[in-house]
Amino acid sequence: MSIGGLVSYHWNVNVFGKVALRGRRWRAELRGNRSRRSSDLAPPLRITPRTKELIFSHYLQGRYANLRRKVAWVTSGAPVEFLRALDFFVLYPENHAAVCGTTRVAEEICGEAEKAGYSRDICSYARTDIGSVLSGRTPAGRLPRPDLLVACTNICQTVLFWYQVLADRLKVPLILIDTPFIYSEAQEHAIEYVRRQLEESVPVAEQVAKQSLDERRLRDVTRHSRDAVELWMQILDRAVHRPAPISAFDQFIHMAPVVEMRGEAYTVDFYSRMLKEVDDRVAGGVGAVRNEKKRLLWDNLPIWYRLRYLAELLGRRGVALIASTYTNAWGELAPMIDPERPFESAARTYLHPILNRGTGHKLATMKRLAERYGIDGVILHSDRSCKPYSIGQVDQCARLARECGLPSLLLEADHSDPRAFSEEQAANRLGAYLELLGV
Amino acid sequence: MSTPNDAVSIPRRAEVIREFKGRGGRVAAVLPIHYPRALFRAFDILPVEVWGPPKIDASSAATHLQPYICSIARNALAFVLGGGLDVADLIIVPHTCDSLQGLASVLIDFITPARPVYPIYLPRGNRPSDLTFLASELRSLSNRLEQLTAYTPSETRLMECIEQEEAADRWLADLHQRRTELPLSQYDLYRVLRSREFLPADRLCALAETIIARAGGYPRRDDIPVLMSGIVPEPMEMLRSLEKMGGRVASDDFACCGRRLYPAGRSSEPFVRMAESIIQGPPDPMRGCSIQDRLAHLARLAGTSGARGVVFYTIKFCEPELFQLPALRTGLQEIGVRTLNLEVDLSDPLSQSALTRLEAFLEMIG
Repeated sequence: MSIGGLVSYHWNVNVFGKVALRGRRWRAELRGNRSRRSSDLAPPLRITPRTKELIFSHYLQGRYANLRRKVAWVTSGAPVEFLRALDFFVLYPENHAAVCGTTRVAEEICGEAEKAGYSRDICSYARTDIGSVLSGRTPAGRLPRPDLLVACTNICQTVLFWYQVLADRLKVPLILIDTPFIYSEAQEHAIEYVRRQLEESVPVAEQVAKQSLDERRLRDVTRHSRDAVELWMQILDRAVHRPAPISAFDQFIHMAPVVEMRGEAYTVDFYSRMLKEVDDRVAGGVGAVRNEKKRLLWDNLPIWYRLRYLAELLGRRGVALIASTYTNAWGELAPMIDPERPFESAARTYLHPILNRGTGHKLATMKRLAERYGIDGVILHSDRSCKPYSIGQVDQCARLARECGLPSLLLEADHSDPRAFSEEQAANRLGAYLELLGV
Repeated sequence: MSTPNDAVSIPRRAEVIREFKGRGGRVAAVLPIHYPRALFRAFDILPVEVWGPPKIDASSAATHLQPYICSIARNALAFVLGGGLDVADLIIVPHTCDSLQGLASVLIDFITPARPVYPIYLPRGNRPSDLTFLASELRSLSNRLEQLTAYTPSETRLMECIEQEEAADRWLADLHQRRTELPLSQYDLYRVLRSREFLPADRLCALAETIIARAGGYPRRDDIPVLMSGIVPEPMEMLRSLEKMGGRVASDDFACCGRRLYPAGRSSEPFVRMAESIIQGPPDPMRGCSIQDRLAHLARLAGTSGARGVVFYTIKFCEPELFQLPALRTGLQEIGVRTLNLEVDLSDPLSQSALTRLEAFLEMIG
């Protein structure tokens, strides 16, 4: 890292970038709630400009990260705490792909991967990421080159194949954290296996980082992770109120920091502010949907390129989508995180995400959320790109209706590739479903 | 090529099952790909594999699985729902990919067939921790089999079964190695190789010995040799078509065949030995092998077998195969090995367009 590089990083990130992003946030805050949002929906949360500032700042740091820090690309469910403690800049390609989805450039970038021979039948996040690597195209300006890749199979096996492609193309070491799938209960030898892999990963990461892991720093990072995740869970839980102060669409947008900035003190601060704002909404009786008549649960990843369309379509009919298994997954494991035993607790925590558990567990989670939040129906996004999340939905859909009396809809789409979404068909199906709900 | 294969009598799967059950044994229906055969045999359970099966009406699977799930999983489920596995006493689902993981979970949680469903998790690396984990996973499976059968095989019995399976694996490797000398058509060769999917080790050894005894003495074939890679050569008629077009499979990297030429384990501890054997098998994306390891393996297979090209015979929606495909094709083409990708669905008959592409490919490399 040259002195020129450090100066460039400092100027672009800490001076010019910081001032520019803060100014942008202040302007947005001053503009207040004069957004284009539908009159059926509450104004966006006041924290939204701060969320954008955090995300832009993260990608700005990423743009110049190679000048100052080592960079790790990691899967969204990977144990990230030891990497942060080693001062890696951590980038989440899945999150970047979601950004490509919301900014509607995913289709073009996927096309770059498809031109290189990657089938349209593989995950669109992976195609977006590989397409971005091959073409350099990204709405973030530029992504930092990784010095290390970390793939954890607790969300799917796809990430392993995807990261092998990255490792092969970029000639970068790949750490694999393999997490045996839990069909019923986690077995002790599986927990021990994950713990051992985590400990074996440290020397590899230390070698790349050219520094040793400081255990006190690891405990601090783990504490920040736990605090952020606990706050996130509290925010989600405020949806028990009627009207629900926050929608699942809001959750999809504001979950970015808990995914990609987990372990940072500023993330804890961010969610403390957000919780306060949500509590203000509860006190003022402000609902995410102005005339809340029905409350729905969402299953699976969002359809990133149709968030606004779906929010407005549902909002017009007084339907509030107030909870989701996806956003819940980033909060429900908080009690397992123990900063005093960072490796042991990480092994247990990172083995237990909903995606690493059986279809029956997901059904039980949906039933629990439905009861907790007073849900009237469920939309299950049958996501062509996410097979592990989607398999089981046909049965889950039928059982939610049969066993809980919850009208449930299986909606075919893809989380990032709009070519797998038929707006006409979706509108017809949603229209019929809302009629069934009586709104 | 017409071959004198009439004398080769391969027992039928249904007969083998009937015979085995008739003398009091149990049958396990096993889904792809890797699992410890010896462990089942030690419990007097015959593992019988289910690769699809092809050419069945899989529409009933739509009541549980979406259409973008691969035909191996969909057909297997349709087969379960249609009573095709009623003969089995238990169902084993190795954790091969996200689709089979999901299928196992749906079976356990929602469909709950009359027979138990046991999953096995296969680690995705070959580090010491992976070996330790797999050995523990096999011990855990053994405990479940003990509960099911109310029988505990001795360590000696387990080692005997391991050695029998290792002997069968050696015979199988010999059949692969000497395939050009065997008096078998391509179709019959693969019937023999795939009889490993249901024959007990001793019968497989006897069959292989009979065939290999007749090896040689046949004129060396002048067909166009190709290396085939994929999951399973279904529908098998593809092999007849290949032969008619003047091609032959010089070597294979099929998940059901070449990727299961396991070396013998070394440990004297039976569970570690079984785990070693699986983990040290040929490169397979489902066991987490790197692209470069697989590329080197394919290049080596093509070189030693004299294959003039590689045909990737891919099952639609099979992510583990699809992710590696572009890099493998590029890597092989860089060393002068031409490649073709044919995508198939087990529920469909082999399309004429696929056969035309295969024929054109053979003409190009011939």
